Amino acid sequence: MRPAFATVYLKELRDALRDRRTALMVLIASVLTGPVTLILVAHFVSGLEEKAAALEVRLYGAEHAPALVNFLRRNDVKIDPAPEDYAAKVRAGRLDAVIVVPDDFQERWLSGDEAQLEIVYDDSRTDSGPATRQAERLLRAFNRETAMLRMIARGVSPDLADPVKVERVNTATPRQKGAFLVFLIPMFALLSPLLGGMTIAIDSTAGERERGSLEPLLANPVRVSQLVVGKWLAAWTFATGVACLTLGGFALAASLYAERKLAALMAFGAPELAGFVAMALPFAAMTSALQMLICTYGRSYREAQTYVSYLATAITFVPMIVLFTGLKDERWQLAVPVLGQQAVLGRILRGDAFGLADWALPSAIALVIAVACVTLVARLLRDERIVFGRP
Amino acid sequence: MIVAQALSKRFGNVEAVRQVSFTAPDGRITALLGPNGAGKTTTLRMISTLVQPTGGCAKVDGLDIAAEPLAVRARVGMLSDARGLYARLTARENIAYYGALRGLPADAADRSIARLADLFDMKPLLDRRVDGFSQGERMKVAIARALVHDPPNVILDEPTNGLDVMTTRSLREVIRTLRAEGKCVLFSSHVMQEVSAVCDEIVIVAHGCVVAQGTAEALLAASGRSDLEEAFVHLTGEALAS
Repeated sequence: MRPAFATVYLKELRDALRDRRTALMVLIASVLTGPVTLILVAHFVSGLEEKAAALEVRLYGAEHAPALVNFLRRNDVKIDPAPEDYAAKVRAGRLDAVIVVPDDFQERWLSGDEAQLEIVYDDSRTDSGPATRQAERLLRAFNRETAMLRMIARGVSPDLADPVKVERVNTATPRQKGAFLVFLIPMFALLSPLLGGMTIAIDSTAGERERGSLEPLLANPVRVSQLVVGKWLAAWTFATGVACLTLGGFALAASLYAERKLAALMAFGAPELAGFVAMALPFAAMTSALQMLICTYGRSYREAQTYVSYLATAITFVPMIVLFTGLKDERWQLAVPVLGQQAVLGRILRGDAFGLADWALPSAIALVIAVACVTLVARLLRDERIVFGRP
Repeated sequence: MIVAQALSKRFGNVEAVRQVSFTAPDGRITALLGPNGAGKTTTLRMISTLVQPTGGCAKVDGLDIAAEPLAVRARVGMLSDARGLYARLTARENIAYYGALRGLPADAADRSIARLADLFDMKPLLDRRVDGFSQGERMKVAIARALVHDPPNVILDEPTNGLDVMTTRSLREVIRTLRAEGKCVLFSSHVMQEVSAVCDEIVIVAHGCVVAQGTAEALLAASGRSDLEEAFVHLTGEALAS
């Protein structure tokens, strides 16, 4: 004969799947997350690269600076004249950066007086950054060339003006440049179990109470722990299912981008997917149990929904903390729920070494928390004040 | 058989049930009659082991409710105050879920559901989802759910609440059928006519105490009144005064 928890498990799964609209919404949301995110990111990344790759400047008042125009042409830079209302267009985001030449530039430059050029840009738009930096680099090169020629003309070694030579050596592998994605994909991996487990966690606790089906359910000759374990397993199943769908969506989208630049930034193939699922499984056990615990305190479905959204917010904050404080990946973080998962998922994505212990520690802690929450829920449901409310 | 001995329940400073004692024998219909807030629901919850008594004890077929709650639950079919169904499941699935939780094999549950559907005249409802059901239809499913394991003791908390006349009549028929099968039926009500229509034994409860018990005739004789409603008002009024 089937144990009671299995009966409860199958009933909760059937009940949740009957809710077609919610199930469909969760399904679509989870499958689409990966592709949509990657398309947006790929667009963003390639846009950045293109802007920087094509040497191109917007010049206003080119006729006042023949020497600069000559320099730019020699360096294969495409010169686009800027319109009269360049300042408004920069502000509106239609132009990235404009070099403005004052009327008296050529005379001052020739006479060796302090000649001025302006770069007009909008700092609040991050995507104007590459174009601005490029304009600045070109002007600096023009500056250096002019200085060098004048020093040579005066019989001074140009090296005097450049006592220290600075060269850039970038140690980041192409994968590590996808730092943005290294933050984003783990966040989705951590949030998707919350989305998946939510419906059953709420419906099987606060929902039972609101519907008035909790009391008759508890009157059955079954231990409360059996009921709670069945409900928890159902929530865990859904949480894991949605996490797998979301991650599968990322893997699928990543494979479509395999030929492009994005692939160099981030690899998300079968090994990474397997690593992510292995991390998500115990994590989903914890989130489902936590959701059930907080929903048990909810007197109505709506109230429980509010509590659950607080949990989601709290979990979203952890990756944010990592991002903004620049917390380095260290051993102790593995022992902190969410932070540990975040650290290991980041490592997997960066292609860093990743051992069994890195999986085992955060997962074991997640499972311990899950069991503690399930035990607590069972205890709460044995408490008549929780079941019947306070008289 | 259900025996309550000095059952008491205190919520903080409120004594909801005080020293309630009565016996509900097999093959008889026993009613807890009393106004709203008299402690009927709390008493029934204690007997069905959902609430722990703060004093006294109760036995169901000789099993102590505190010592063997699971065994007691297996011998009781309880229609509680809360009688919510799972709206997305069909009537049959709702009933079968409880059958499975009470350890009934699938084929036995099927037979039991067919028998109860006959009894409650609800065959056409069985394979429809319950979210479109009327109050009376829901009640039938809830009672069938409580009785699916054919329990020897049946506890019904205000079973006729919100039912129309026809459904109330068919419910009375069901209660009489259960008695004919030799079961112990214990139900609560605040409606006089309800109780006088079907009951063998009446336990009048007011303010958490048993104020009188016996057959309808015995109660009439004890109060010296000619009709049951008068007797009820007289007896509960006496309890109020004391």
